[in-house]
Amino acid sequence: MSLIWLFAILLALAVAGYWMTRRRAMTSAGGDVRKLHSLPNYYGMNAAMLSLAPALIVLFVWLLAQPLLVDATVTRMIPDEAIPDASNRGLVMSDVRRVSNGLDALVDAGRMSAQEARDLSTDSDDIRASMAEVGVALGSDVRPEVLRAAQRYRLLTGRGDLARNVIVVLIALAGAGLAYRRTTHEFRARNAVERGMSLLLLGAASIAILTTIGIVLSMLTETGRFFSQYPWTEFFFSTNWQPRFGGGSDLGFLPLLWGTLYISIIALIVAVPVGLFSAIYLSEYATGRIRAVAKPMIEILAGIPTIVYGLFALITVGPLLRDWFAQPLGLGNSGSSVMTAGLVMGIMLIPFVSSLSDDIINAVPQSLRDGSFGLGATKSETIRQVILPAALPGIVGAVLLAASRAIGETMIVVLGAGASARMDLNPFEAMTTITVKIVSQLTGDTDFNSPETLVAFALGLTLFVLTLGLNVFALYIVRRYREQYE
Amino acid sequence: MKDGRLEERDTTMQDTKIKASNVQVYYGDNHAIKDVDVEIKDKTVTAFIGPSGCGKSTFLRCLNRMNDTIDVARIEGKILIDDEDIYDRKVDPVQLRAKVGMVFQKPNPFPKSIYDNVAYGPKIHGLAKNKADLDDIVENALRRGAIWDEVKDRLHAPGTGLSGGQQQRLCIARAVATEPEILLMDEPCSALDPIATDQVENLIHELRENYSVVIVTHSMQQAARVSQKTAFFHLGNLVEYGTTDQIFQNPHDSRTESYITGRIG
Repeated sequence: MSLIWLFAILLALAVAGYWMTRRRAMTSAGGDVRKLHSLPNYYGMNAAMLSLAPALIVLFVWLLAQPLLVDATVTRMIPDEAIPDASNRGLVMSDVRRVSNGLDALVDAGRMSAQEARDLSTDSDDIRASMAEVGVALGSDVRPEVLRAAQRYRLLTGRGDLARNVIVVLIALAGAGLAYRRTTHEFRARNAVERGMSLLLLGAASIAILTTIGIVLSMLTETGRFFSQYPWTEFFFSTNWQPRFGGGSDLGFLPLLWGTLYISIIALIVAVPVGLFSAIYLSEYATGRIRAVAKPMIEILAGIPTIVYGLFALITVGPLLRDWFAQPLGLGNSGSSVMTAGLVMGIMLIPFVSSLSDDIINAVPQSLRDGSFGLGATKSETIRQVILPAALPGIVGAVLLAASRAIGETMIVVLGAGASARMDLNPFEAMTTITVKIVSQLTGDTDFNSPETLVAFALGLTLFVLTLGLNVFALYIVRRYREQYE
Repeated sequence: MKDGRLEERDTTMQDTKIKASNVQVYYGDNHAIKDVDVEIKDKTVTAFIGPSGCGKSTFLRCLNRMNDTIDVARIEGKILIDDEDIYDRKVDPVQLRAKVGMVFQKPNPFPKSIYDNVAYGPKIHGLAKNKADLDDIVENALRRGAIWDEVKDRLHAPGTGLSGGQQQRLCIARAVATEPEILLMDEPCSALDPIATDQVENLIHELRENYSVVIVTHSMQQAARVSQKTAFFHLGNLVEYGTTDQIFQNPHDSRTESYITGRIG
């Protein structure tokens, strides 16, 4: 029985529980809704909740735990001698799982009875060929230990699935039954549903928080492993980035940090004035009709995927800057440059700055504008001397949020600025950023135990600390600003 | 009190400062002000009273062209200040607003220091020759706003940190600092407690010496206390206009009588 059927059964149970409990509540009140503590729907919802929630939680835990337990049992069947030299236990176990899936597929396709699948042996049949026919590709012939392990794996998984289905359905039944038994006209179903709702919302919130904690912890452990293999002074203070996958790399992150900051600063120099001025125009000068057209147009920029901006940088902006600025000025002839990536990233950030600043400028009370106009100030005097100072903390917050996006941007940099780590002042020179190097250290055939790959986690953590710091600072400023009016 | 009124009645003999004739205001399709004719005297406090939505604030905002900042508002008719049509093409509304100061319903100090709040107008209009001159202007304005003694030791503290009544007097000082000839006040005490209201009303009495003051108020007692002339607005019409004594003691129009005796409004 597949999971989808299990879900269908659970849902049916919940619906049945809902209606039966609702009817029971009505009956217990003699058909008079006014005698019930809660509205009839709440009794039904209580039953549906009690049958679904615990069953789904158990199902979820079971789905996570069962493969681990089965793996742990089956892996003991494979002796160390059976593992080929060029391989390791993990690869053999994935072979086992693949063969087990192949057996399932053969049985499903009707090529084999369940009994035959259990008794199959490597002597009699060409397993690899018959599995290839049902779409399961194996890299080599199946060895006897692997086949035995796979048969065992299949057996345990099958039993486990059956037990899971039975237990989950029983829990659902028990939940619905409990709700049904407790339902009398005095039962406070409304309060029970309220508690259930708060638990549901709490659960949703904790998933987000737990994920964050998990990500940070995994980065921390990997970074720890990196620093146990590579001196941290070299990483933080060396100005040379030259990873060699044979070993003996220089992994100084300063060139990457420099590239990241240089590109981000150029991006902000483009985005902040343009974004801010367009926000001022939209909120203070534009008529309703222009605003209705212009604001969505600017926000469309925010909807363009960054890879498209990257293409724009690679194909249009890069050659343009090279041919019209870099070469005539004698500043090099590289198609990809810090300037290219910075300009295009700046364009990407315009809607970000402008729509946040627009909201902030609109939040400045009309009474301040009236006060200034009433004293005979013009519009631009009012904006410069009253509105912008009042909105400044919020605008700073918007700029910092934009900065943390610029620091984390990858695609535009790959296509616009290239991938060579360098510390240089010339903005028409190719440089690269932390994010790009994380990608390039982790792509391709990599061994997750060398400093060359582990450095990605150290870089990631540095980046995380950098953007987290900026975000916290931005939020702090934005929050302080909110308290300013009343 | 009675003596004061007799003395005040003399002021009606003074020059006309504002002359409005046949003024119409439309907010989109809504005809908010209908055929208003009024003459406002110099060095007099004129009160506009009437129920909510009667158009008294709208009319007040016509006098310094604040309605220009509202897109849908449209004004017809003639408003003369010192015999000059303020809706004439040649008139710069920004200059006009320097001459016709305004104080709003809610105190709205800028998020700047007390000093900068008052110095804002003089700086924009270039009224000060130098820093010392500006200091004098600010001090004078704060004195005329009857708030100097309370803030003289903390001129560089933020204006938003003052109490509501102090903020409103700061806003009055701010309006006075640009040397206006007319001061428009749109329910200046409606956000204030009785003590602060009393302070602001005393201030209005003093301001009358130098300015023509027009005040919109919801409180009839306030109109009676501070004004010499009163105009009663109802549903966009100027129903009755006369000396405050006459309006409150001997109203000619039945609607005025109903309003001041509390039967409508």
